[in-house]
Amino acid sequence: MAKYFGIDRIFTFLKTIKETGGLKASLYKLYRMDSLRPGQLVGTDKYGNKYYENPHYFYGRNRWVEYAPYYGMDYDGSQVPAEWFGWLHYKTDLLPDKDPSRPKYKWMLDHTENLSGTPGQYMPYSTTLPKIEAWRPPAK
Amino acid sequence: MLRITFTKVLNGAKLSPKHIYVATRAQSGEVKKPEKVEVFIDDKPVYVEPGTTVLQAAAMIGVEIPRFCYHERLAVAGNCRMCLVEVEKSPKPVAACAMPVMKGWRIKTDSEMTRKAREGIMEFLLVNHPLDCPICDQGGECDLQDQSMAFGSDRSRFTDIEFSGKRAVEDKDIGPLIKTIMTRCIHCTRCIRFASEVAGVDDLGTTGRGNDMQVGTYVEKLFMSELSGNIIDLCPVGALTSKPYSFTARPWEIRKVDSIDVLDAVGSNIIVSTRTGEVMRIVPRVNEEINEEWLADKSRFAYDGLKRQRLVTPMIRDCNGELKPVDWEAALLTVAKVIKNAGSQVGAIAGGLADAEVLVAVKDLLNKLGSEALCTEHTFPLDGSGTDLRSSYLLNNKIAGVEEADLVLLIGTNPRLEAPLLNSRLRKGWIHNELQVALIGPKVDLRYDYEHLGDDAKVLKEIVSGRHQFSSKLKSAKKPLIIVGSELLERADGAAVLSAVQTLAANTPSQDKDWKVLNILHKVASQVAAFDIGYTPGVDKIREGNLKALLLIGADEGAIDKSDLPQDCFVIYQGHHGDQGASIADAILPGAAYTEKQATYVNTEGRAQETLVAVTAPGRAREDWKIIRALSEIIGAKLPYDNLNEIRCRLEEVAPHLTRYGSAEEANYFKQAEQLAKKIKIQLDECTPIDVKIKELQDYFMTDAITRASPTMAKCVQAVLKQKQSKY
Amino acid sequence: MASQAVKRTIKEVKPILSVDREEARKRVLNLYKAWYRQLPYIVKAYDIPKNVEQCRERLREEFTKHDHFPDIRVIDMLVIKGQMELKEIVNVWKQKGHVMTYFKDSLEPKPKDFLSKFLSGKE
Repeated sequence: MAKYFGIDRIFTFLKTIKETGGLKASLYKLYRMDSLRPGQLVGTDKYGNKYYENPHYFYGRNRWVEYAPYYGMDYDGSQVPAEWFGWLHYKTDLLPDKDPSRPKYKWMLDHTENLSGTPGQYMPYSTTLPKIEAWRPPAK
Repeated sequence: MLRITFTKVLNGAKLSPKHIYVATRAQSGEVKKPEKVEVFIDDKPVYVEPGTTVLQAAAMIGVEIPRFCYHERLAVAGNCRMCLVEVEKSPKPVAACAMPVMKGWRIKTDSEMTRKAREGIMEFLLVNHPLDCPICDQGGECDLQDQSMAFGSDRSRFTDIEFSGKRAVEDKDIGPLIKTIMTRCIHCTRCIRFASEVAGVDDLGTTGRGNDMQVGTYVEKLFMSELSGNIIDLCPVGALTSKPYSFTARPWEIRKVDSIDVLDAVGSNIIVSTRTGEVMRIVPRVNEEINEEWLADKSRFAYDGLKRQRLVTPMIRDCNGELKPVDWEAALLTVAKVIKNAGSQVGAIAGGLADAEVLVAVKDLLNKLGSEALCTEHTFPLDGSGTDLRSSYLLNNKIAGVEEADLVLLIGTNPRLEAPLLNSRLRKGWIHNELQVALIGPKVDLRYDYEHLGDDAKVLKEIVSGRHQFSSKLKSAKKPLIIVGSELLERADGAAVLSAVQTLAANTPSQDKDWKVLNILHKVASQVAAFDIGYTPGVDKIREGNLKALLLIGADEGAIDKSDLPQDCFVIYQGHHGDQGASIADAILPGAAYTEKQATYVNTEGRAQETLVAVTAPGRAREDWKIIRALSEIIGAKLPYDNLNEIRCRLEEVAPHLTRYGSAEEANYFKQAEQLAKKIKIQLDECTPIDVKIKELQDYFMTDAITRASPTMAKCVQAVLKQKQSKY
Repeated sequence: MASQAVKRTIKEVKPILSVDREEARKRVLNLYKAWYRQLPYIVKAYDIPKNVEQCRERLREEFTKHDHFPDIRVIDMLVIKGQMELKEIVNVWKQKGHVMTYFKDSLEPKPKDFLSKFLSGKE
């Protein structure tokens, strides 16, 4: 009955607000992520990003990431580390910690986000020697 | 190559090889000129002197006969056979370079027989010559390449090399300057002849016969000559190429700029080859009066020093005592403030690489400020006539005149390493003109025999007084020459030496009225121009002057350092290399090196010559006189010239010969100079032996800011030192 | 007497368009008005980064720049040139860059004397 009139949506809505942590937090989340969805927290990566799943939504929209709070509004896709990328993009349904074939070597580097446009960005540099070698004054 | 020799041959006066020319001139007084003989070259009649070779006779009417081994400045070898021509009624073709013409000969330089002979020779040469022109450094300026295109056949009958392969010869290591690819050698022996005749180093030779013949040093050793680079130019193929230049540029992609070398006082004419704003190599330019077509190794290979240790931006010493780069405006303002505060207590020292333009600009500026403390880094006696009379500081008899002399007395100089091209002239006279050489000074290796009179100053005195056995020889000589090293005159008793030499020269008779006995050989390029403009030799004035600002114009020899100056003296260094001068400076104004400016230099014989801009100065460096001009405006004592023409006009006002490029101004007043010299009171110091700084080859390579910065020159020094330890 | 006659003949020269100052003035004003009216269309047609106000200011500047010529023939010639210019602009024979050259006065003048040439690296 309630479902027929769509009243259950109001409950879901209220439940979502409760899960999010109150009205203020919900408004902030809505502002930050443009959506407010109920979902099952399936994992957190070492950078603090939270990964949610809600099979209730259509395939393609049912997995999402909530970036760690310290990113603020400066979040982007490259902040998702490689091990979560596959799950988030439906390459696999196995979570990173449950995937036995995922290689783990100690020489593997930490994930870095795309640093373009920041001081840490990669700048190509010339490897040719300068034609004229300038004199450097001897240090005192 | 070929084209250059061709035009040279066409120039009337320089028709015959120089040594033949000398010989005929020496004889011309007594012997009546022999009658000319008529020969026909391609049916064109030409009158030549007897003894002229077929090749020279052909060149007189503009017929160029191909050749490899023949070189007009070397002895005739006649072993390449490329110059074969047909002579009518002769059964075989004759080698044009070695065969003197006979009366009435009809020479055919383009007949069927001649062409067949050339094709045959070319076929033989190419049997074993590798076809690596695309990777050969000589490609594009190769005589073999050109002549095989012009005179060769389009195919070879020596098909067996397709199975047996071409002859291969191991490469030799003859030093850091010359790269050898001996497989390419066609055995013309030009390098061997150059080494033994001109350089006087009999290291190169051949071993084996026929197909097994090899040119080389037999044992692996350095080709120890200060003229070694010339065999690169002489080599008609790519067997001897320049090591620093190897694989860097191609002859068709370089720009050539005619310029003047400034690394010694000879002022050799050079061609600076540049590409993409870089000096790629330096090769000699023919100037019969100075360097003929040779070039000393320092001048040829020190160009990589122009790319290292350069001053590229103005610098000011900050409060921490460190030199920090600043822009021109800040640098000039700081320097101008200091000079303005210094008032007339400002001095300048001109180094060995300063050009006449900057010298005159600095002099004008300092004179305007009321200072007369303008000095050169290298000293010269001021007593007697000092630098007032040009005759007492020039190589008066000219460089080319040296080879006509019959007796040369060298005093306190090592011409082989101070002016290698003057030494090659002396050697030429020694070989072809029975020139005798005597030397007072340390026993050095000049590559020709000389009478060593000792290194005692007493000897000089004895000769002057006529008590020495050499005096009679000097008196009886027809064309005697006295060459004094400028270094000897830098001694404390330099004035006495100069006076003694002047007296000696005045008392030495010569047959020729225009012959000048007294000659001074300088070591640096700027000295003569500085004296002409009116600089005071030596830095004594600076030491005594209690200066507040000192301007060093490329002064890098350490004639003065901080301890000679008052505490608060502000040192400004203007020049192109970071060296001794820059390290003691409080402000640095970067100038242009000699390949980067159009500037005037006067060589030791008083010949004004002009360098041209080959590349632009690096970074923010500017032409030197312009820096002084800009500085003068900020100081408020604006110099009245804005462009090169105007400053050249000023040069002309100061000394007109400074802008008469190419001609050496005659110096006179020998008598007056000698009389003034008699008045000096300094006594000749007989205890100190006469010495020279540059005694051996390893001392030769690094003598100034440019050569000290050059890696090639450093390698040369290492190579020479290593060779000295070798048992060969 | 004779010299005065000479002077008069020198003064009486063949006019280009206008015979007296008044007529010349009218021509100038006409040209100014024509330009003034065209400016909005020019701004639109060429899509230049200036508004009509700025263009009017520039137009006025351009006219006042030449306000000191006493010779009628010079004025006439300037008027003719102004008309040609206007025609070229209105018919879009010019391009945006050509129009913008009128606003080039913010460009730094090239150094002329030695010192400024030296400091700017031109010498």
